[in-house]
Amino acid sequence: MAESWLKTFNLCRYYRRGPTEVKAVDNVDITLEKGECLGLVGSSGSGKSTLLNLMAGLDTPTSGHIEIEGHSLATLSRRELAAYRAYRVGMVFQSFNLIPHYTALGNVEMALFFNKTPRPVRRRLAIEIMEKLSLADRLDHRPADLSGGEQQRVALARALVKKPEILFADEPTGNLDQDNSRHIASLLKRLNLQGLTIILVTHDLELARSTTGRIIKMHYGQIIETSTSPSKRNDHHDLA
Amino acid sequence: MTWHDLLAISTGNLWRMKLRSFLTISGVIIAIAAFVAMLSFGAGNQKLVREQYEQLGLFNTMQVYPPRKSNDDDTARTVTLNDATVAELAEIPGVNLAYPYSKFKVSATIKDTSFSVNAQALPAAVFATKLYSQLLAGTFYDRDSARQAVVTRELTDSLHLTPDSIIGQQLIISIKSASIDSGLAYILQNAREHMRVRLKELRFDSLLNDDYRKRIFYGEMNSAFNLFLEGYMNHRSLISDTLTICGVLDKINGHRLRIEPIIIPAASARRFSVSGFGDDPADLFKALQEGSFFVPTGDSIEQNYSEITLNLDPLYSTEKVIDSVEALGFRTFSFARQFKEISRFFFYFDLFLGIIGLIALITASLGIVNTMVMSIIERKREIGLMKSLGADEPDIRLLFLFESAMIGTFGATIGIIFGWLITRLASFIARIIMTKQGFDEIELFALPGWLILIAFLFGLLVSLVAGFYPASRAARVDPVEALRNE
Repeated sequence: MAESWLKTFNLCRYYRRGPTEVKAVDNVDITLEKGECLGLVGSSGSGKSTLLNLMAGLDTPTSGHIEIEGHSLATLSRRELAAYRAYRVGMVFQSFNLIPHYTALGNVEMALFFNKTPRPVRRRLAIEIMEKLSLADRLDHRPADLSGGEQQRVALARALVKKPEILFADEPTGNLDQDNSRHIASLLKRLNLQGLTIILVTHDLELARSTTGRIIKMHYGQIIETSTSPSKRNDHHDLA
Repeated sequence: MTWHDLLAISTGNLWRMKLRSFLTISGVIIAIAAFVAMLSFGAGNQKLVREQYEQLGLFNTMQVYPPRKSNDDDTARTVTLNDATVAELAEIPGVNLAYPYSKFKVSATIKDTSFSVNAQALPAAVFATKLYSQLLAGTFYDRDSARQAVVTRELTDSLHLTPDSIIGQQLIISIKSASIDSGLAYILQNAREHMRVRLKELRFDSLLNDDYRKRIFYGEMNSAFNLFLEGYMNHRSLISDTLTICGVLDKINGHRLRIEPIIIPAASARRFSVSGFGDDPADLFKALQEGSFFVPTGDSIEQNYSEITLNLDPLYSTEKVIDSVEALGFRTFSFARQFKEISRFFFYFDLFLGIIGLIALITASLGIVNTMVMSIIERKREIGLMKSLGADEPDIRLLFLFESAMIGTFGATIGIIFGWLITRLASFIARIIMTKQGFDEIELFALPGWLILIAFLFGLLVSLVAGFYPASRAARVDPVEALRNE
């Protein structure tokens, strides 16, 4: 039996928009096994990204709680929650969120600023991961000088450089063309095959099917369907 | 995040926004430069006064005066400053030396030039004190019986002589001394002849008439007074002495100190002070006013001084000495106390200048707040990203405070240098003006270590205070909001 890594219990995130209460996440129970690749799909406003932010410790639930390896995030102090993000979580965003005035290498190195990695080690690890993602010749380039695919690979390198236990990918192919989307999907698949736990948020059902092992469909903050994709664990490619 | 990371990120951000950073830092530079220049002026003047006090040993010098005359207090008339008082004051613990201020007008001749000048008697021991250490040429006399004199630069300047050229020259000083004895003697001397003339003119038959008797009496009194004045003014004795000029003393400006152009040993001066009134008729009227007109002349006269100077032991409490002297009924003036007053004045003066500088710095700090708030708005996404990467609120706060501190550090450092350059320029201009006006060149500005430190810490502190609100605001940025897809 696979080990449960993340669990949510009656997770709710409500917020007010004027007089209206918006239920962004409403009574969501999810169990995520270690090494699993879970797809969260749904239309815009279905609560996928909010759920991702809650699980990443960036947002606080209105009610319910999240457990990581049996420890509730709600019991963690602000500092411990920051440490959780610094050491255990990697995040990739739709709009890359690269700092424009830093080089690609600087952007990747930045992920190690907050987990006490010594400066010389930081640089070595950043170069290593960028080489693995075929960005060796883009180290000193600024984000504006990179293509969309390259920017997302830099963002992925930034998420992976600290060797996280889980990767939260929020619409990672949303701003990419088809070729680059496929490339990123392929990278995520390979990472999962290497044992990295991934939660992929996307509105692209095909991408979710081709990349993840299980798909949860959300609608108005609630889970409306859970399905299993054909296993992708037969592929054994390495990033290198 | 290490200090190196903070430094790299902060410097990078300031460098990226060059114009804005330059303008913000310029505000701090101007404020700190003004602060440094103004306080440097206060510090310079304070240093100047302190140096003068130390150079003249004024911290160990005090003066003693007789009590003020009061209608209600008869004791004031009985407590006077005389030789006995000098001896009494010299015995007070903590007093190294006590000497009176004794001035008299003399006729002096140097190199065939005669002039009227004030002279002063001082014991040889005073030249061991710092107060009389400013010798321009020659030496001081070493004993009270020396046949030597010290003159001041004021005298050599008025004679258009250099200090070196006057050393070894003969100084002839003399006074004309008169006394009531010479007046009375003149009356007696002329009495016989006068009586004979008067008796011839006298109408004995009218002596029974009151008016005639009164007229005769007043006429005789006026005649006697005229004879007295004639005798007093025209039969004065000349006392003269020839001394060798051994040293020239630099002039001492201000500080309530009275140093006369000619200083002679106490023993030589005694000859001039025991012989009644000087040749100034004012002395006569002064004696009449003071009630000292009919006193015996000669060695037994008791000389009253206007002030006595005390040289104190630097290891002894000045306040204790002051208490002891005042307990004897005298008034005192302490240079140490005066310096405390001056220091208090400079404290308020510096405070005033500091407040003006602070106002400029507060204005500059508004620029820092503006820059930092703008920076937060522009870097909101970056802050959100940092939080998603594991930055805690204190990390973000520290990052922005560090940036403010960088502005303060750059501004304060360059501001101190600019402030120093301003003082150099002002000092240069002041020296030119002093030279043109014929004054001694003095340094009006000083940049002591404490001022540099205070200016730097001031700049840094104001920058940190200015950065505190933006930094707190940055720390509170909601990462979900900041990273939301546009």
